[in-house]
Amino acid sequence: MNDLSHDQRVAGLKGLGSSRKRVEDARFTQGKGNYVDDIKMPDMLFGDFVRSQYAHARIRSVDTSKAVALPGVIAVLQAADLAPLGLHWMPTLAGDKQMVLADGKVLFQGQEIAFVIAEDRYICADAIELIEVEYEELPVVVDPFKALQPGAPVLREDLAGQTKGAHGERIHHNHIFRWEVGDKEGTEAVVAGADVVAEEMVYYHRTHPCPLETCGCVASMDKINGKLTLWGTFQAPHVVRTVASLLSGIPESSIRVVSPDIGGGFGNKVGVYPGYVCAIVASIVTGRPVKWIEDRMDNLMATAFARDYWMQGKIAATAEGKITGLWCHVTADHGAFDACADPTKFPAGFFSICTGSYDIPVAYVGVDGVYTNKAPGGVAYRCSFRVTEAAYFIERMIEVLAIKLGMDSAELRRINFIRKEQFPYQSALGWEYDSGDYHTAWDKALNAVGYDALRAEQAQRVADFKAGKTRSLMGIGLSFFTEIVGAGPVKNCDILGMGMFDSCEIRIHPTGSALARLGTISQGQGHATTFAQILATETGIPADQITIEEGDTDTAPYGLGTYGSRSTPVAGAATAMAGRKIRAKAQMIAAYLLEVHDNDLEWDVDRFVVKGVPERFKTMKEIAYAAYNQAIPGLEPGLEAVSYYDPPNMTYPFGAYICVMDIDADTGVADIRSFYALDDCGTRINPMIIEGQVHGGATEAFAIAMGQEIAYDEMGNCMTGTLMDFFLPTAWETPHYTTDFTETPSPHHPIGAKGVGESPNVGGVPAFSNAVHDAFRPFGLTQSHMPHDHWRIWRIANQLGLHG
Amino acid sequence: MALELKDEILIPAPRDVVYAALNDTAMLKAAIPGCEELLRHSETDLEAKVVLKIGPIKARFGGKVVLDQSGAPGSFSLTGEGSGGVAGFAKGGAVVTLEDRGAETLLSYNATADVGGKIAQLGNRLIAGTAKKLADQFFASFAAAVTAAEAPAADETA
Repeated sequence: MNDLSHDQRVAGLKGLGSSRKRVEDARFTQGKGNYVDDIKMPDMLFGDFVRSQYAHARIRSVDTSKAVALPGVIAVLQAADLAPLGLHWMPTLAGDKQMVLADGKVLFQGQEIAFVIAEDRYICADAIELIEVEYEELPVVVDPFKALQPGAPVLREDLAGQTKGAHGERIHHNHIFRWEVGDKEGTEAVVAGADVVAEEMVYYHRTHPCPLETCGCVASMDKINGKLTLWGTFQAPHVVRTVASLLSGIPESSIRVVSPDIGGGFGNKVGVYPGYVCAIVASIVTGRPVKWIEDRMDNLMATAFARDYWMQGKIAATAEGKITGLWCHVTADHGAFDACADPTKFPAGFFSICTGSYDIPVAYVGVDGVYTNKAPGGVAYRCSFRVTEAAYFIERMIEVLAIKLGMDSAELRRINFIRKEQFPYQSALGWEYDSGDYHTAWDKALNAVGYDALRAEQAQRVADFKAGKTRSLMGIGLSFFTEIVGAGPVKNCDILGMGMFDSCEIRIHPTGSALARLGTISQGQGHATTFAQILATETGIPADQITIEEGDTDTAPYGLGTYGSRSTPVAGAATAMAGRKIRAKAQMIAAYLLEVHDNDLEWDVDRFVVKGVPERFKTMKEIAYAAYNQAIPGLEPGLEAVSYYDPPNMTYPFGAYICVMDIDADTGVADIRSFYALDDCGTRINPMIIEGQVHGGATEAFAIAMGQEIAYDEMGNCMTGTLMDFFLPTAWETPHYTTDFTETPSPHHPIGAKGVGESPNVGGVPAFSNAVHDAFRPFGLTQSHMPHDHWRIWRIANQLGLHG
Repeated sequence: MALELKDEILIPAPRDVVYAALNDTAMLKAAIPGCEELLRHSETDLEAKVVLKIGPIKARFGGKVVLDQSGAPGSFSLTGEGSGGVAGFAKGGAVVTLEDRGAETLLSYNATADVGGKIAQLGNRLIAGTAKKLADQFFASFAAAVTAAEAPAADETA
């Protein structure tokens, strides 16, 4: 390596900033991924559920006699079978409890009633058809506002008389919690005395992460050695192991949880589902491996949904447009059980980031969680906890305020942005924004799209439309978002009591290659690629010679998993810190080998060099070998390190997104002409992966804003239980994206990285939605709820009288 | 999901005959598409087993039907509910009115149903069309059967 230049050595590492190709793709693109449903074991049984056809009913009887008599059926589990083990209910991540199998009644369509265990999936399906469930129908509530009315049906009879829940007082039998942040009186006083107040109800509809691989697991209890192995679609395998141990009484040391390749997670695979519990019980009872895999309908109607937030907002401003206060009340529909996946102390996640990117002096947020006859969930679908709701709320309120003020909303944003010199910025709702430069990003974005020219074109289009020369309208959707990711500091963030640190363990092999294991788990993010890059820059070992392993609790260090854009901010930091421990020991070894003092050495890409004597150095490869073959006084052999990283703060990625859309007023068809995404995620580890993340996140944002929905009819039937009704964009619908960036490193993160995987969803949804609203703003539209599918856009045009 | 069906059909038989046929279980069983069993427990209570196919779902529905004959012979109504196990359930009712049109009878029906479970989920795009098709099939078979019964001589000579 001696004859290589400094720059060549840097390039050879493929470290930070390199658009290194994803090492995962070799197997994914050749059909060699290993997903949960690919796991097949000798003697393996299959389990599946009898699910409720009703959204709310008492279970009078379940007749399993015909099913049990079917050859190949091993057993049928019901709540009464699990009750002696205390497993007919299970705790949720939100401090509530959830039925594993229906205990007397069902509370949502698709709820699990009985678990059939059979020799294979086909027999299971046949047996399920033979089970006769007798229901007594009960009144259904699918509207959270109706659920809170005085005479509303009682959904959770198990909570009768309980006036306190996991998050304080319950004010109604269908009420879960009230969570309040900020200065209520102060905000209401500002709103009462403001020059201008814009008030609006903003609804972020119910949708679903819909990962390509549905949820599932294989549980295998080895009765000889007492060890339970559980392969599954887990975004947080260590947490699953802890929960499994607490529920089953099996010591954690005898439980191995493995997340193999997971075909996407997006928050859907954070929670613990009845299928996992039943598969484990079934394996323990039968002594055989048991597989449970959802089909698409099961996934869409029963495992964790996202959003369903009714956000009532009031935004106050001066006549010039300077925002003076923000008031918000959320009615949060959590479905039948509160199975929201948020850090314990945050029942509405980080929704209080809803002051967004703006310097708002006073604010208040109140959130009421409500039970309804819908599936439980409320997960962070490609966003940090409730952050996309918050970003959508504030970005709609800015537009509504701009309408009220008669202002251009780009300018309204600009005059209210938190200024660069205000960072670290203390928000009115209690967050410390670590860093940002919003004005620079905004100007770059507006220039890049040619904002003024677009507005001129739009004005001409409106004139032409009114003159009858065109039936096409044009919308310019603006969005500026600030995310809060990287949960989080142990002092205030935990999941079931486990602090939200993360971890990395590194072994440098004698020949200078390395293995690193982390507490996170990639579901497509490319951890094996990017974490190796962090380590390459920290240790001087080429990324191509670093293997990254995750997802096996027997080998990986304890970590809280991957969701909420926390992997890079937390585990990425642990990786850098562990790499620095390696380098510190390497420096001592190099000093010994070069016979100089530690302080006489300096680090240069992949080696320690004697200061002022560039020809005297030891490369990391040489140092690694020495660590294993030399007796170095005062040092243990080997070269390994572990870091458990407790982040001092969250990170605050931000960005500016602009969508230009042409809308056919007569058909409601929206054609995305361009979509520009500027992201500032701090230090950029792999620009190619960032671009891929932005494409993926923006596509999910497009789906959510323009059509994706979990809809219920008044009987509680889930009307969007298949991909025929649930919109999942394909290449045909997906727009083209232009990506851009600014780079404002996080001051507290070891390498300055902030996380990016979820930003495009958080910023993208308001960009698409605002474009639709903007197209109709000249005709008097203020607010129309998502999703903006063709018929709903047509209806906007119709209601505005544009159809003549 | 709520479902509503309305239509009318001209049956070439007098009203009394049509009314009697509507109360004839054997005739109904023959006309109901997929009907495997139709039992009469009393003058007004019936029980049926029907195999239905809606889109990708095929299931055997078991149900109870209660007749209201108080409007005879000008009208006839029924309410019922049925369950298809994992396929879902339905409940609803229908009012049938019979008007004299000389030697013929104009049969009009107005049916409403609430459909739940998997058929409502999977079939929501198909269910209205399927229900209409089944109703058409029923009345076509029914009209044919009534007509055939009215003209036994023709049958015998055939």
